[in-house]
Amino acid sequence: MTVVGAELQRKRQKALRRQGSLYVLAVGIFALIWMLPVVWTVVTSFRPEPALQRNLASLIPYPFTTENWTFILKSSQLWKWLGNSAFVSTTHTLAQLTVCSLAAYAFARLDFYFKRPLYILVLIGLMVPFEATFLPVYLLFSNLKLHNTLIALILPGISSSFAVFLLTQFFRGIPLELEEAAMMDGAGRFRIFLTIIIPLSTPVITALAIFTFLGNWNSYLWPIISATSSDVYTIVIGLRKLNQAWGDVNFYGRDMAAAIFTALPIIIFFFVFQRRIISGIAINSGIK
Amino acid sequence: MTGFSLGGLVDGALNLLDVFDPIVEPYRRFHEQLPPKIQQTITAFIFILPFGILYAIFTILPIFQTFYISLHKWEIMGTNIRFIGLKNFERLLTRDTQFHQAFEQTVLFVALTIPIIFVGLFFALMLNRPVKGIGIFRTIFYLPNIIAVTVIGLIWARVFASSGRGLINAFLEQFNAGPIPFLDQGDLATLVVSFTTLWWTVGFSMLIFLAGLQDISQALYDAAKVDGANRFEQFRHITIPGLRRPFAFLCILQVIASFQIFGQVDVMTGGGPAGNTRTIVYNIFETTFLYFQVGYGTAMAVIMFAVLLVISLIQLALFRDQGVGN
Repeated sequence: MTVVGAELQRKRQKALRRQGSLYVLAVGIFALIWMLPVVWTVVTSFRPEPALQRNLASLIPYPFTTENWTFILKSSQLWKWLGNSAFVSTTHTLAQLTVCSLAAYAFARLDFYFKRPLYILVLIGLMVPFEATFLPVYLLFSNLKLHNTLIALILPGISSSFAVFLLTQFFRGIPLELEEAAMMDGAGRFRIFLTIIIPLSTPVITALAIFTFLGNWNSYLWPIISATSSDVYTIVIGLRKLNQAWGDVNFYGRDMAAAIFTALPIIIFFFVFQRRIISGIAINSGIK
Repeated sequence: MTGFSLGGLVDGALNLLDVFDPIVEPYRRFHEQLPPKIQQTITAFIFILPFGILYAIFTILPIFQTFYISLHKWEIMGTNIRFIGLKNFERLLTRDTQFHQAFEQTVLFVALTIPIIFVGLFFALMLNRPVKGIGIFRTIFYLPNIIAVTVIGLIWARVFASSGRGLINAFLEQFNAGPIPFLDQGDLATLVVSFTTLWWTVGFSMLIFLAGLQDISQALYDAAKVDGANRFEQFRHITIPGLRRPFAFLCILQVIASFQIFGQVDVMTGGGPAGNTRTIVYNIFETTFLYFQVGYGTAMAVIMFAVLLVISLIQLALFRDQGVGN
């Protein structure tokens, strides 16, 4: 290549790069506008109440205060609700994965009587919206006096048709030879399940775990009817109740700090599992 | 590497189970004499049992109970229960104007949230470029999707609050304009809730479309370029057909999700003003937990279940005809 040619190419690449960064800048400005309410929420949580009374619409945290945040961070209630959420969602997720992967193994690998009708029965669950079942479940928990316990928040939804479906599909794709070899060595079904199937399914199980966890953490309709005493609120419900109790007027900055406090654990969770979440969406939605 | 391995740990734990051998061993000998299919049936039922019990209690039985309860006048405290046949349905379908209004409102929400799919497509096209640093915007636009509805609703209710205690109206106040009664006027409140839903969930559509775009073979575009197709023609004849499957998928999901709108309404408007944003689920919630009429509430749930079932069957059939179902 001649010197002139190389020079030309360098110039073109430079122009392309500049075009690229201009594009990123434009998208960046749009993203900033899109996220303006979030920026405003964060700024507002650092402004003192009298300043907020005078003027809400400001993105400058001056005068500045951490008072709202010290109040929120000192609130034992909020930490308790956060603990409830963490416990409920973790237990729920582990239970769902255990129960559903066991069932999925049977559907994927065993040849048994009533297999087809049973599997169809499981798939029917995919078509049943929560609204079609939640009132009888509510009455059941009332009769058992289980409302206002964490168990009531953990149990519904563990037996997920979707999880069984997804795992069955995945288990079917694992080569049979691996299992046959283990069986030659005298391994039972349960040992094969634990030592071969589960380790080989880590990607799909992780994706499922993440979305089950998120779904349960963010669930709203069930906990708001079942958990009516403040001891068992999840953080999502707790924020709602605080917001109602404080009203719209009096503790504006505090409310905003509480909202961020509620969102923060999940934002951290998101950044920890970012790659898995982004790729998991395709797995989880059955698009791939 | 340390000597730690998960597989070894599992093996060790399983070996501990050997203490049950005196009980298990005689059974195993019996088990192995059975025909293979019976053996597998026993094993399969043991594997399915935990799921089966929970599934029966929390899904199968409640479906039947929902139908059963809907045929009764049934108060939630459980003292006043009386079989009344189809009277609940008769009242719902012919006389209950509040339910009709809630139904119409829900359909309106469905219609107003369909554009989310197109905005998602726009975002996906915007971000589907091999430019350095573009990945962070995917994160930014998707992030609201995983935040709880109480947080999202709280923020946007405050942005749009009707008095000077809302961001937009406080801003307008500085210019002696406004206030705009965003949440105090039915149509405006509906739009605000729909927009909030857009902001909250559009990232999901975006990611599904991005995955779809990456599945379209670059060779198709190269071939089109050779044939002299311009960018619009490429978009029209390659991109759009290539995105049919994610589009179908998102349509089904969006309609079903919007039919179930509850959280945004409960947090932002409480069904108001004057019941203008009351959706079906919100109506069920009010009927059951405010007026304690669980029989009547389940009748609404049955209707909703039926409608959702019909919608998903129609959509599946439609999309299967176009060869994008399965």
